[in-house]
Amino acid sequence: MEQFSEQLINALVLGGIYALIAVGYTMVYGIIELINFAHGEIFMFGAYFAFTLVTDFNLPFWVAVPISMLLCAGIGMLMDLIAYRPLRNAARLSALITAIGVSIGLQNLARIIWGARQRPFPSESLPAFLRQGIPPSEPLPAFALTETAIALPGGAFLPYRDLCIILLALVLMIALNRLVSLTKIGKAMRACAQNRVAANLMGINTNQVIVTTFAIGSALGAVAGVMVGVKEIIEPTMGYYKGVAAFAAAVLGGIGNITGAMVGGLLIGFAEVFGAGYIPYGYGSGYRVAIAYIVMIIVIIIRPSGLFGKSTATRA
Amino acid sequence: MNLETIRDQLTTKNIIFGLLICFFPLLMYAVDYITLLLSYRNIYLPTPSGDYILRIVVQVALYTLLAVGLNIVCGFTGLLDLGYVGFYLVGGYTAGLLMVRLGFSYWMVLPLAVLNGALWGLMRGAPTLRLTGDYFAIVTFGFAELLFRMVKNEIWLIGDINGFVKNIPHVSLFGIKLNQNWHHYYHILILLALVIFVTYRLQHSRIGRAWVAIREDEQAASSMGINVSRYKSLAFAVSAAIGALGGAFLAPFWSIISAGTFQFWESILILCMVILGGKGSIKGAVIGAVILGSLSEILREVLSNFPQFSGARYLLFGIILVLLMRYRPDGLIFKKT
Repeated sequence: MEQFSEQLINALVLGGIYALIAVGYTMVYGIIELINFAHGEIFMFGAYFAFTLVTDFNLPFWVAVPISMLLCAGIGMLMDLIAYRPLRNAARLSALITAIGVSIGLQNLARIIWGARQRPFPSESLPAFLRQGIPPSEPLPAFALTETAIALPGGAFLPYRDLCIILLALVLMIALNRLVSLTKIGKAMRACAQNRVAANLMGINTNQVIVTTFAIGSALGAVAGVMVGVKEIIEPTMGYYKGVAAFAAAVLGGIGNITGAMVGGLLIGFAEVFGAGYIPYGYGSGYRVAIAYIVMIIVIIIRPSGLFGKSTATRA
Repeated sequence: MNLETIRDQLTTKNIIFGLLICFFPLLMYAVDYITLLLSYRNIYLPTPSGDYILRIVVQVALYTLLAVGLNIVCGFTGLLDLGYVGFYLVGGYTAGLLMVRLGFSYWMVLPLAVLNGALWGLMRGAPTLRLTGDYFAIVTFGFAELLFRMVKNEIWLIGDINGFVKNIPHVSLFGIKLNQNWHHYYHILILLALVIFVTYRLQHSRIGRAWVAIREDEQAASSMGINVSRYKSLAFAVSAAIGALGGAFLAPFWSIISAGTFQFWESILILCMVILGGKGSIKGAVIGAVILGSLSEILREVLSNFPQFSGARYLLFGIILVLLMRYRPDGLIFKKT
């Protein structure tokens, strides 16, 4: 029971993080039909920016995160302007190859700037309640509060850190949903996703919409990066592994569909955590990273449109 | 290819080029000999040793072989394969494990590895036949990652952690151990010539034309009576077999293989070579591989002195990919015909 509730919390946290990254993939794909391979790298840069801001610039955590979001939004916009916009009318695969090139380039740029080794987020720079807590020696009554966690019935703890990640992911998802469905720019995005040429003819500045999409997706990715940095570890390859899992989430939900990406993110998070926890003989943990790939391959082969997408036979 | 065309090819330039390729090791050892003689007179040249250059050339030739193989799927049938390294891995481990664990001879292992590669190519190909474009690319990518995870995790099969297969014996031919760099050079030269010959003959046959037709328009090809599934499967199998051949050569050449050799970035490097030369042209793949392969090996050597900049190699490949797609999407050297 204790293990189960801990797994549940971990799955929710991971699912929330994947959902945040996956919407970045899915929004871009929805509008320009490009698998933005480099989105995972933006997420990694988000973590590193926040890390550098709190360690080298001694900024408080709450200031560092928004700055990191802004910086990542800037990188996302630059990426579109420099790499993708000139290829807007070129062959689809050219854009995908460019995205891969940008991805390798950024990942190795991070390796040069920050080094290849893994770094934990410095815990002294975090607010006290977000730190890694030490579980108390004697069992606590249910819902008792410690400095870093809430005791749950059954002996497990819900760290405030995890609670914050889950809540923040939820809030950002709702905000994104409102943005897309209620605001003018959201309406423009949906129009572009339906038909970019027609949207352009109706007087929508499609290039501006696309750049905004990149900025929003990248900012959300940066938040997810900080979350992973605080909860796990920062390394140059994190964008690659988590990015692919998040892409699998976007595919599972039906690529181009924002709600789908959120649900897909949660499902992949659950599959990964419970798969690693309950598949026996060490297969679960050894193949933890592979679970997302397997889900992705199966979805693409059996139902390329995903859970929420419209059914199409192939994707050209 | 009849005698007339062969005679046309025998220009002075081609003959010199051919002789250079055939006697390259001799030249390199001559360089070594001269350096040795000079060192007796206390003259030291800052050049790397010829033997070392020979080894790098073998490595580049291996990349060329892989690029020619990848070109079949990426260039001829026009599908983006992001997991080519998976077949390289299959070949490497088939050869390595059979030679180390079961003591098979290399000459028995070579066809087995090629067949196994073709089998995996068909296995991957069957479910992906109706996919095109980015979805095909993503499945191939996931497939190679799964294979990579497998060799990392299946310790009972590999016998060591992280997919290490150590002490792979050298190839022996008529009782002679082929462990010198010039042995490797002629070994890979023969394999490469064979692969280029087979690919060239395929390209200029009914099969090659069917592949190009599928690339240009699958539906039109199908309505012209081309069995699209069959020809695509054939392309997957041949391409995978060549990848596995490269892996089978690698195992005794390095005498050690590990999962780290077969990472995603390796696929991208090979893809970069194919694109640089121009997709769909064997000559382009060869030239792309020679340029990027040499650049890669030189950079690896230079950067080994600056460990903090080890990422610069792949950073450069990333930039090359972006620039190529922007300015020369059909390749630097040869335009697609």
